[in-house]
Amino acid sequence: MSPRWLVARQSALFVLRERTVALLGAMFIVLVLISAWLGWSATATVDGIYQQATVFLKAAGRTVPPNPVFDMSPLFLMRNMSVYVALIGALSAIVIGNRLVCLDRKAGVLPLIGIRPLSQGDYAIGKIAALGALIAGLSIVAAVAATATFLVLPSIQLSLLQWAQLVGFMVVSAVYMAIFGLIGLATGAWSRSETVGLLLPVTAWLALTFILPQLTANLNPTAAINPISALAAPPDIGFFHWTAQILGPFSLADSFKFASARLLDYLPPDISPPSFIPPFLDLLLALVAATALAWRSLTGLAMTQGDYNV
Amino acid sequence: MSDPIIMTDKLTQSFDGVRAVDSLTLEIAKGEVFGFLGHNGAGKTTTVQMLTTLAKPASGTARVAGHDIRTDPLSVRRSIGYVPENVRLYDTQTATENLLFFARLSGVEAPQARVAEVLDLLDCTYLAHQRVGGFSKGMRQRVGLAQAILHRPSVLFLDEPTSGLDPMGIKMLRDLIIRLNIEFGMTIFMNTHLISEIAKTCTSIAVLSHGKLVFHDRIEAVTARYGDDAALEELYLSLTPVGRLAGAAA
Repeated sequence: MSPRWLVARQSALFVLRERTVALLGAMFIVLVLISAWLGWSATATVDGIYQQATVFLKAAGRTVPPNPVFDMSPLFLMRNMSVYVALIGALSAIVIGNRLVCLDRKAGVLPLIGIRPLSQGDYAIGKIAALGALIAGLSIVAAVAATATFLVLPSIQLSLLQWAQLVGFMVVSAVYMAIFGLIGLATGAWSRSETVGLLLPVTAWLALTFILPQLTANLNPTAAINPISALAAPPDIGFFHWTAQILGPFSLADSFKFASARLLDYLPPDISPPSFIPPFLDLLLALVAATALAWRSLTGLAMTQGDYNV
Repeated sequence: MSDPIIMTDKLTQSFDGVRAVDSLTLEIAKGEVFGFLGHNGAGKTTTVQMLTTLAKPASGTARVAGHDIRTDPLSVRRSIGYVPENVRLYDTQTATENLLFFARLSGVEAPQARVAEVLDLLDCTYLAHQRVGGFSKGMRQRVGLAQAILHRPSVLFLDEPTSGLDPMGIKMLRDLIIRLNIEFGMTIFMNTHLISEIAKTCTSIAVLSHGKLVFHDRIEAVTARYGDDAALEELYLSLTPVGRLAGAAA
C-alpha cells in the first residue's frame, strides 16, 4: 500500500472513531431516513386514500379521476434532502475535514510522519482522499435510503431519466459537502489553534447558507431551511440585481438549492439561476477552489510542529 | 576522517532575521556517536530539523548518508530515524498500532514481525498492546526509539533523548544507544545538555553557541586534554555565553 493510501486509511479510520463525527454523521443519516420516510408516508397516504376512493367511485358508477400522486414527479419526495444536505450535511463535512488534519496536529505526530519517505503532496493527497471517501460513504448511505424509498412504494415507478436525476442529485450533494469538508481541512491545517480551525469554516458555512442568500435573493433565514420557499424570486429592484451579479457566484447555498430543485423536479418555472454562472458550474468551480485551498494549506503545513502553537 | 556520513556545508537557518544556525560546516564519520552540545536556543534542534529534512535550510546544504537534503529528501528519510525531544504518538492507539502505521509508512516489509522484533530488542514487549495515552515519559521514549529504528536506518537522530527521564531511564536509554551503535552500526547524532552523558556515550562532540560551531573534536582528545567530567563541564561553560556570564559573576 502506498504511503498516501496509508495516510488516507489511518485518517479515515481515526475520524470514524471520533464521537462528534459519529454523532453528526448519524444525525445526517437519520435526517435522510426521516426525509425519505416523510415523503414515503405522505405519498402512501394520498395513494391509499385514492385507492379507497377509486373503489367507492367505481361502485357508484362515477368517473375515476387520475391519481394525484402522478401529478408531480416522484422525485419531489426527496425535496427535504436538499435542506438536510445544505445544513447538517455541510456541517458534518466541515467537522470531518477539520478532524482529519487536527488528529495529527493534536496528537503531535507530524514530525514522525514528516521524516518518513513520503512527500507533503502524498500527505495532502492522503488527507483529501480520506475526506472524499468519508463523504462518499455518507452520500452512499443517503442514496441507499432514497432508493429504498422508491422501491418500497409500488405505485411509484421511476423512469431511467429520473433514476439518473436522482444519482445526479446525490453527486451534487456530495460535491457540495466536499466543498465544506475541504474548507475545514484547509483551516484545520493553517490555523494556529484547533478552535479557530473549526470556527472559521463554520462562519463561512453560516454566511453562505443564511447571509448571502438574504443579500442576493432577499431570502429570510427561516425560509432558507425550507426547500420550496428558498426558491422564491427576489424583488425586482436594483439592489438585488447588483448583489446577485456581484455576490451571486459566491452564494453556493443558492446554487446548490437551484441545482437540487432542477434535479428533483420541483423548480418553479418563474425562477432564474441565482447568478450569471450556471449553478452546476458554480459548484464545480467552488470545488476546484476549495481543493486548491486545501492542497496549499496541507502542503504548507509545518511538519516540525509537534502540536498547535500553545 | 573516514567515510563521513553527515556533511554540512555552510548550513544556515534564520527566523525573523535572527540566525538560528549560522554557516554550520561539520563532518561526522560513519559509526560515530556524536554529541551535539549547546545552550537553550543555540540552534541544535533547528540543525536536526534541517538534517532530517523536516525544515528547509535558508542557505547552505548538507548530505546525510550520501544524499543531499535539498535535492533528495526522500532518500535521506529512508536512511534516517528520528526521536524528537517529546515523543508524541497517537494516544488512543496501542504501541503496536502506532508502530505498525510508522513501519508501513517507512515501507518496512513484514511490518508485524518487525514491530515485534523491535519491541523485543528494546525490552518493551509488555507495552505492545497497551494504549500509548497511559504511558510514562520513559515508556514513550522507548516506543519513540522503536519507531525510529523500525526501518533499520543508518543514521539515528536523537533530540535531547534523556530530557525528563529519571536516572534509571537515562541509564537504560544510554545502554540502548550504545547497543544500537555497536551491534547495528548505526551512526548516532545526539542533541544533549548533559555533559556526563556525553563522556559515557559519545565518540565525538561539538558545541554550538548562538548558531555557530565553536568546538568539534573526538572524545578521547577532549578527555585527554581536559580530563574528567568536571573539566569537560568547564570547557562547555567556557564556550557558551551563559557559562561565560556565570564565570564572570563568580
